[in-house]
Amino acid sequence: MIKKPSLLIVDDEPNVLLTLRLVLEEEGYEIRTAASYAEAEKIIGDAARFDAILTDLWMEKEDIGIELARSASKLHPRPIIVIFTGFGSPSNARAALEVPVDYFALKPLDIDELKRVLNRLVAQAMERGVPS
Amino acid sequence: MSVWRGGKFALIVHPELSVLSQYQALLAGNGFTTVVARDLPTALLAITQHYFDLAIVSSQITESGDGWPLAGVLHLVYPKSFVAVLVPGTDLLTLQAAINSGVQDVYELTETPKRVVSSMLAAMQTPGATADSSPSEKVH
Repeated sequence: MIKKPSLLIVDDEPNVLLTLRLVLEEEGYEIRTAASYAEAEKIIGDAARFDAILTDLWMEKEDIGIELARSASKLHPRPIIVIFTGFGSPSNARAALEVPVDYFALKPLDIDELKRVLNRLVAQAMERGVPS
Repeated sequence: MSVWRGGKFALIVHPELSVLSQYQALLAGNGFTTVVARDLPTALLAITQHYFDLAIVSSQITESGDGWPLAGVLHLVYPKSFVAVLVPGTDLLTLQAAINSGVQDVYELTETPKRVVSSMLAAMQTPGATADSSPSEKVH
């Protein structure tokens, strides 16, 4: 049986978490959520593995999602990292490029595009041999 | 351990011959065999014929923004290579395009080729600077 790809979705807005969970579960992903940077760090610190981590940028403080992206980029295997934000700026986009983040989306999210991009990135990673 | 690919190759895609010439000279001085292209068909042909370790693409080849899809293709074809895009300015949408195309860095068109090349070569020496850190390359 094919194992479902796993996602960690991080956002301090419960409605966003719920919507993304519903949409991406429907798409065939196994979802875990975190309502803060701290909770997400604890989850990945506990050695949980994800095919992709999707995080908001502004949570406990401005641009804290970049810190989570940096932590995620050091994981082995490295998950796909997606940042979404309503507060995009040249400075936080530059920081995301330097991590590097795999996808940077501006809110309001285009859900269809997010699904398409995520499916492509996960499929590419799997094709190149990353176990889900 | 790196994989033998028969020497280092670079691809430069830019509409201006003088710019291509400057980059070619600088990269040749750093041991790269450089292929240049002034348009998309030539760039695509080059992609089918070489393995490029480094690519520098103008965000505008024939028309504004047409360099981005090419940069995305380069990232897909050579996920371990360093791809940079020359841009008119580094605003939010440009940086977003860079991230979403999978390029490693962007440089403003006002930067001198010497500075761009030295910055790229320095970045290539940094572990994780290229798509070596991409999901595909972190396999158990």
